[in-house]
Amino acid sequence: MIKQKVADTIDQLGPSSLRSNPLAVVFVLLAVTVIFSASQFPDDGQVGPGFFPILVSVGIVVFSFADILTETESDLEISEYSFRPPAIVLGLLVAYLLVMPVTGFLVGTMLYMPAILYYSGIKSKPLMAGLSVGLPVLLFYIFARVFLIRLPEGIIPISRLLPRLPLVVIPGWL
Amino acid sequence: MVVENIGPALANLADPFVIFLMTAGVLLGIIMGSIPGMTATMTIAVLLSFTFTMDPAHGMMLLLGIYGGAVYSGSIPAILIRTPGTPSAAATLFDGHPLSKKGEAGRAIKASTVASFVGGVISVLALMFFSPVIAGAALEFRSPEFFALAVFGLTIIASVSGDSITKGMVSGLLGMLVATVGIDPITGFHRYTFDMAKLLTGVEFIAVMIGLFGIAEGLRKYSQGIDDDTDEADQEMSGVLPSGSDLKSIMPVSVGSGVLGAFIGSIPGAGGDIAAFITYNEATRWLKDTVPAFGDGNIRGVAAAESGNNASTGGALIPTLTLGIPGDSVSAILIGALMVHDINPGPGLYQDEPELLYTIFVGFLVIYILILIFGLLGANYWARLINIPSSHIWPVILVLCVIGSIALRGNVFDAWVMLGAGLLGYAMRLRGYPLAPMVLGLILAPIAEVNLRRSLVLSGGSLDIFYTSPIALLVLLLSAAAITVPAVRSVRG
Repeated sequence: MIKQKVADTIDQLGPSSLRSNPLAVVFVLLAVTVIFSASQFPDDGQVGPGFFPILVSVGIVVFSFADILTETESDLEISEYSFRPPAIVLGLLVAYLLVMPVTGFLVGTMLYMPAILYYSGIKSKPLMAGLSVGLPVLLFYIFARVFLIRLPEGIIPISRLLPRLPLVVIPGWL
Repeated sequence: MVVENIGPALANLADPFVIFLMTAGVLLGIIMGSIPGMTATMTIAVLLSFTFTMDPAHGMMLLLGIYGGAVYSGSIPAILIRTPGTPSAAATLFDGHPLSKKGEAGRAIKASTVASFVGGVISVLALMFFSPVIAGAALEFRSPEFFALAVFGLTIIASVSGDSITKGMVSGLLGMLVATVGIDPITGFHRYTFDMAKLLTGVEFIAVMIGLFGIAEGLRKYSQGIDDDTDEADQEMSGVLPSGSDLKSIMPVSVGSGVLGAFIGSIPGAGGDIAAFITYNEATRWLKDTVPAFGDGNIRGVAAAESGNNASTGGALIPTLTLGIPGDSVSAILIGALMVHDINPGPGLYQDEPELLYTIFVGFLVIYILILIFGLLGANYWARLINIPSSHIWPVILVLCVIGSIALRGNVFDAWVMLGAGLLGYAMRLRGYPLAPMVLGLILAPIAEVNLRRSLVLSGGSLDIFYTSPIALLVLLLSAAAITVPAVRSVRG
C-alpha cells in the first residue's frame, strides 16, 4: 500500500504535471539556486547571513512540491485569458521606461499616453490630446514642483521651461 | 492615557490642510471603490507616492480616507449591477441586488452607508481602546515571541487568501526571499546585491507592492478585455436619509456585525471580504423568520455585510500598529507608508509616537463621519461612476504606478523593479497564486529573520527557546494549525 502511494507520488511528479505547473518548477529552481549560493556565504556558525535565505528557500521547495502534487487543472483561471493584450501593454511600459532617461518623465509620458490610450480603445481625439498633455503636466507640477521630488529630466530638460508655481507654503507639507 | 492624547490629536486634525486631505481621501476612495475592479489596495498602492513628502500623520489621513471610502463604496455596484466594486463587497450583493431589482436600490445604498458608518466607528473605537492594552502586553515580548508572531502572520494569510494553502505559502515565502536582498541586518554581509549600489538597501518594497497591485492587476484587466463595459446602472434615488423604520431595523444588526467584523479584521490576514461573509452568515443564523428572507432583498443582510467589512478596517490596524504584523494587504501598505518616514509600527510606537497614533485614531473616526455625509449626500452621483469605462482609467493608473515608483528615490531603477514585480504578480495570478501573502512576506521577513537569529544566538543555537516561552509556543502551534487543519480537511474532502 505504501509502495503504491510512493509510486503514485513519483508518477505525479512526472513531466506532464511539471509542465502543467511551470511556475512551481521555476520557483523550485530559484530556491535551489539560492540554497546553493547562500551556503557559500561566510558563516559564523549556525546563524550567518545565509541561514534565513536557505530556510525560506527550503520552505519554497517543500510547498512547491506539495503544490505540484495537489494541483488540479480546474483550479486555474488561465483559459479565460488571451496573452496578446498584456504583452502589448507590458511592451509599451518597457519602451516608456527605456526612453525615459533620454526624454525625461514629462516628454516620455506625453509619448506613452497616446499609445496606451489608443490601444485601450479611446478614439476621441480631444480626450486623447487632453489626457496626453494634461496628465503629464499635472503630475509634473505635483511631484516636481510641489513635492520637490527629482523626476528624470532627460537629455534636453524641456520640463524646466514650464512656468514656476507661485510660492505657497502649506503648513505640514515638506 | 486615551483621554490625555485626544486633545493634541484634535488640534492636529483642526488644520484646514488635514481636513482637505481627509475629504480628498474619502472622495477618491468612494470614486475608485464605485468602479468595479478598482480595489482599496490598488488605489492606496498607486497613490502612496503622494504622501512621501508629507508629515506622516497627514499622509495617513489621505490613505485611511481612501481605505474607508473604497471599502464602503464597493457596495454601490454590488447593489446596482451585481458586481462588487471591491472584493469586500461580495457579500453585499446577496440582498443588495435583489433590493435593486425591486426598484429599491436607493434604500439599499442608504442602509449600506449607515451600516458602514456604524461598523467603521465601532472598529475605530475598538482600535482606540484595545490596541494600547495589546501594545502594553507586547512590550514584554522578546525575540522568540516576535519570530512566532511573524510566522503566524504568514501562515494565517496563506490559509485564508486564495484557494490553495500551498500556493499561499509559496507566495509568502517568495516575498520573504525578495526581502533578504541587501545588506544583512546583523553581519553587514551583502546578499544578492550583484554589486549594484541601488540594491544595498534592499529591493524597495513599495515598488514591489505597486507592481503587484497596480501593474499585475492592470495586465489582468487588459487580458480579460479592457472595454467589456459593465451593465448600465440607471436607478434614480430620492431623498438623502434612510427611513426611520429602516434605521430601526438595521441598527442592532449593524452594531453586532461591527463588533464581530472588528474582531475578524484584527486577525492577521483576514480582511474585509472574509469579515463580511462571516458577519452576513451570522446575521442569517441569528435572525430567523425575517420577511423578506435573506437573499430575497432583506435590508438587514445589506447592513450585516457592510457593517462587517467596514469594521474590518479599524480591526486590521490593531495588529498592524501594536505588533507590526499587518492585518490585511492594505495595512501592509500602510506599514510601508510609515516606514518611508522611518517609523516602524510595533509596540514601541505607543511610547515613541503617541501623538501620531491618536491622530490616526481620531482622524479615522472623522473619516467615517465624512463617509456618512458624502455617502448619503452623493449616492446618486456615485451610482453613475459605475458606468465609467475602465479603458479611461487604466492608462492613468499605469502612469501613476510608474511615477509612484520613481518618486520613491528619484530614479528609474525602482520603476524597473516595479515592472518586474508586476510581471511576476501577473504570472502568479494566472497560476492561482494569491498576492497578499507575498506583500506580508516582504513586511514580515525582517521581523522574522532578525528575531529568529537573535533567539538562536541567545539560546546558543538550541531550539528550546521557542518552546520554553509559552506565548511563542502557543503562537507557533496556532501557525501549524493554520496550515495543517485546512490541508487535512481538503485531503478528506
